[in-house]
Amino acid sequence: MEQFFTFPFAVLEIPPVKLKKPSWLKQPSPMVVFSLVLFSYFLVTGGIIYDVIVEPPSVGSTTDEHGHSRPVAFMPYRVNGQYIMEGLASSFLFTVGGLGFIILDNVHSPTMPKLNRYLMTAIGYICIIVSFFTTWVFMKMKLPGYLQN
Amino acid sequence: MSQAGSKKGAVSKLNKNAAINSLIVFVVLLLAWVAGFASRLFAVIRFESIIHEFDPWFNYRATAYMVKHGFYNFLNWFDERAWYPLGRIVGGTVYPGLMLTSGSIHWILHLLHINVHIRDICVFLAPIFSGLTAISTYLLTRELWSSGAGLFAACFIAIVPGYISRSVAGSYDNEGIAIFALQFTYFLWIKSVKTGSVFWAVSAAVSYFYMVSAWGGYVFIINLIPLHVFVLLLMGRYSNRLFTSYTTFYILGLIMSMQIPFVGFQPIRTSEHMAAAGVFALLFAVAVLKYLQSMMSKSEFKSLVIWGGLVSAGLVFATVVGLTYAGYIAPWSGRFYSLWDTGYAKIHIPIIASVSEHQPTTWFSFFFDLHVLIPTFPAGLWYCIKHVNDERVFVILYALSAVYFAGVMVRLMLTLTPVVCMLSGVAFSVILEMYLREEDSTPAIENEEEESSQNPKRLYDKAGKVPKIIKHESKEQDAIGQNIRSIAAVVFVLLLMLFAVHCTWVTSNAYSSPSIVLASYGSDGTRQILDDFREAYFWLSQNTADDARVMSWWDYGYQIAGMANRTTLVDNNTWNNSHIALVGKAMSSNESAAYEIMTALDVDYVLVIFGGVIGYSGDDINKFLWMVRIAEGEHPKDIRESDYFTEQGEFRVDAEGSPTLLNCLMYKLSYYRFGDLRLDYRSPSGFDRTRNAVIGNKDINLTYLEEAYTSEHWLVRIYRVKKPDEFNRPRIPVANRVIKSSSFVSKKSTKRKKGTIKNKPVIVKGKRPAVKLQ
Repeated sequence: MEQFFTFPFAVLEIPPVKLKKPSWLKQPSPMVVFSLVLFSYFLVTGGIIYDVIVEPPSVGSTTDEHGHSRPVAFMPYRVNGQYIMEGLASSFLFTVGGLGFIILDNVHSPTMPKLNRYLMTAIGYICIIVSFFTTWVFMKMKLPGYLQN
Repeated sequence: MSQAGSKKGAVSKLNKNAAINSLIVFVVLLLAWVAGFASRLFAVIRFESIIHEFDPWFNYRATAYMVKHGFYNFLNWFDERAWYPLGRIVGGTVYPGLMLTSGSIHWILHLLHINVHIRDICVFLAPIFSGLTAISTYLLTRELWSSGAGLFAACFIAIVPGYISRSVAGSYDNEGIAIFALQFTYFLWIKSVKTGSVFWAVSAAVSYFYMVSAWGGYVFIINLIPLHVFVLLLMGRYSNRLFTSYTTFYILGLIMSMQIPFVGFQPIRTSEHMAAAGVFALLFAVAVLKYLQSMMSKSEFKSLVIWGGLVSAGLVFATVVGLTYAGYIAPWSGRFYSLWDTGYAKIHIPIIASVSEHQPTTWFSFFFDLHVLIPTFPAGLWYCIKHVNDERVFVILYALSAVYFAGVMVRLMLTLTPVVCMLSGVAFSVILEMYLREEDSTPAIENEEEESSQNPKRLYDKAGKVPKIIKHESKEQDAIGQNIRSIAAVVFVLLLMLFAVHCTWVTSNAYSSPSIVLASYGSDGTRQILDDFREAYFWLSQNTADDARVMSWWDYGYQIAGMANRTTLVDNNTWNNSHIALVGKAMSSNESAAYEIMTALDVDYVLVIFGGVIGYSGDDINKFLWMVRIAEGEHPKDIRESDYFTEQGEFRVDAEGSPTLLNCLMYKLSYYRFGDLRLDYRSPSGFDRTRNAVIGNKDINLTYLEEAYTSEHWLVRIYRVKKPDEFNRPRIPVANRVIKSSSFVSKKSTKRKKGTIKNKPVIVKGKRPAVKLQ
C-alpha cells in the first residue's frame, strides 16, 4: 500500500518549492457574497444583457414642434425595449427597495440605541415606499394605460 | 386558550395549536389554489374554452391523437402532414409528459363516466396544475425556512404574472406542468439531502423523470443539483447524507431519463449533462479520500492527494476531450450555447433569435412579471445567506442562476419566478413575524410552549433562530411597539394589496389573449371580435383537397395542422433550418423564382397573414426581415438582406422602399388588391394601418398564383398556386389541332318532323287525387 502512493516520488524528486495558499483565498464572508450578489442583481434587472446585445442609446431623443430635439428618458409602449439609463434607474430603485427591507431587519439588533432605531426604521420605510411609488411612476411613463381599463 | 398550568392542559393546548396550524395551512393553500385557478380564467370567460397560440395547438392535436389511437400508436406516430415532404416522427421528437398527463386524466374521468371532452381537459390543465405548483412551492419553502414563509410563497406563486403568462386556461403547453414538476423535484431533493434517506432520493429521481418527460428545461435541474453538491463540497460540507442522496438520485435519474425516446442517449453523450457525471465522480473521489484519511497518517495522505488528484484530473480531462473529439460526446447545442455567449444566437442562429420570447429581458419585464417581489427578493436572499445551511445553499444557487438566465431570455423569467416567490415569502414572513407578533407581550412560559408546539411543524431547528431573536429583545422594544406595529401592518398590507391588483390587471390585460381570436375595443367600449384565423382555417378545411399542401411561414404551421388539418411545409417545431430557409427564400424572391421553389415543393396554397387593414402588428410583413435573414443564412447568393432596405438603411413599404421588396412574393401576396381599398375618407387608398404608410406598389398582378380566399378583415389571405397548364398553355400548330366533333346524332329525319328534346322529362299521367269535399 505504501509503495503504491510513494513510488512516483522514487522516480521524481520533489522540487524544493514551498507553495502557500495565497492569503486572500479564503471562503468569503456572507456579507461579501451578498454584496456581490446584490450588485449582479442590480445589473441584471437593469437589463444589462439587453444593453450588451441590442446596444440601445443611453437616452433617446425626439423632435418637438419647434424643431428642437429633446431627450426622452423612457421608451414608451415598447415592452421589449429600453434605453440604458431607464434600465439602470429602475434597477437602482429595485435595489433601494431591497435594501429598505434589509434595513428594517437590522433595526432589531438589541445593542442599537433608541434614536438610531427610530432613524433606521424611518429610513427603511422611506426606501421601500419611495422605491415602490417611483417604480409605479416609471410604469406609468412606460405604459400610460397602466392599471386602467 | 386554557391555562398553561397543568401538564394535561399543556398537552391538549399543544394538540389544539397543531390542529389550528394545519387547518390554517389547509385553508390558505386551498384558497391559493382557488384564486390561482380563478385568475387564469379571463380568456375562457371573455372568449370561449379554446386552445391558445401556436405550440398548444400541436400539443392538443397530439393529445387528441393519443386519446383516439392509444399510447403505443402515439409513440410510433409518423406525421406525414408536417414538414412536407419530409414528415415528422412525432413519437420520437416530443416530450410526452403533457399528453400523458391529460390523457390519463381523460381516461380516469371516463372510467368514472364523467364524459369530458379532451379539449376541455387540455384547456383547464394548466390552471389546475398551478394549484399543485403552489402546494409544492409551499412544501419546498417550508423545508427551507418555515411554514409561514411557505404559505406566503404559495400565495405569491398562485397569482404572480410571471407564471400566469405560461399557464392561463387554454395555454396548453409543457411549461404549465413542468413548473410543478420542477418545484416538486427540488422539494424532494432538499428533503433527501436533509434526511439522507434513500426513499426521498428515489422519489426525487421519479419526480425528475416526470420533469424530463414534460419539458426540455429538465437540463436546469440536472445542472443545478450537481452545482449544489459541488458547492457544498467546496464549502467543506460533505456528509454521508449528501453522498447517499446524490448517488441514488443521479443513477436512477440517469437511467429513467433515458427512457424518454426524445432524450434517448443524450444524458451520457451531450455536454449539457457532463457536469452531473463529473460531480458524481468527484463525490466518489471525496468519499474515498475521506475514508482513507481515517486510516492514514497526515503526510501519506498529503502525497496521495497530490499524486492521485493530478493523475485523476488529467485522466478525466483527457477522456472528455478524447470522447468529444471522437464524437461520442456532442458539444453544446446552439440553444444552450446562446445562454452563455449572448451574442451567439444573433450571429449564428437567426431562427432562435427571431422568436420574440428569446429576446434579452428589459427592466420592464422584470417589474411587469414580478412587481413587489423584485425588491423583496434580495431581502429574502439576504436572510438565506445570513443563516446559511445545506439547503439554503441550494436556494441561493437557484436564485443566482435563475436571475442570470432570466436576464438572457424573456422566456426564462418562468424559472426565475418560483425562486423569487420563495425568497419573497421568506422576507415577508420574517418581517411580519417581527412586527405583528402580538403574543410577545404575554408571559414567557406561553412563548416557550408556542415554540415547542411549532418546532415539530417546522421540522428543522435552525430556522427557529429568527423568532428567538425577536423574543429576546421584544421586551425592551415594547415602548415603541404599538405605533410602529400598526404602521408596519398598514404598509405591508398595502404593498400586498397593490401586488394583487397589479397581478390581476396584468393577467387580464396582457396574458389572457388567445391570439387566435382577436378583440378590438371601440371608443365607446363596445367589443368587436375578429375571428379571421378560424374563419380562414375552416375555409381551408372545407374547400381544399384533403392532401393539399399549404405553404406559410413557420409560425402558423401548427395552427394549420390543428385547425385546418392540411399538410404544412414548416411548423413551429423548427428542427430543419434549411427547409425553413427554403420557404423564406420563396417568400422573399420575386414571383417566378418563387414559383420554381413552390413547384419543387408541390405547394398548392400559400397562406399569408396581413394586418394592414386592422392594424395588427404581428403580421408577416413585420416578420419579413427574419424570413430574409434566415433565407440569407442558407442561400447567401440569391438573397441579401441589404437589398430589402432603402439607401438610408430603412425598411419601408411605401413608394420609397427598395424595388426588391416591392416585387417580392410576400409583398405582392400581402398587398394584392389592397391598392384599391380605401379604409376611410380621411386616408388615401392603399393606406397600411400597421406601418402607417401608403403602399408603394399599388397595381399588383399575379401570374403564377390567384387569390383563393381573403378573410373578413383581410387578416388571412390564401392564394392558390396555378398548375403549369393554367398560365402557359403551349401553342399547337394548326395542322395538329384536333377539333372535337359532336357525337350527338339527331333523330330528326325527313319522316319524323317532330323534334326531340334531350333528357326531356316524361310526364306520367295519373288520376286526379280525390278532392275532399267540404
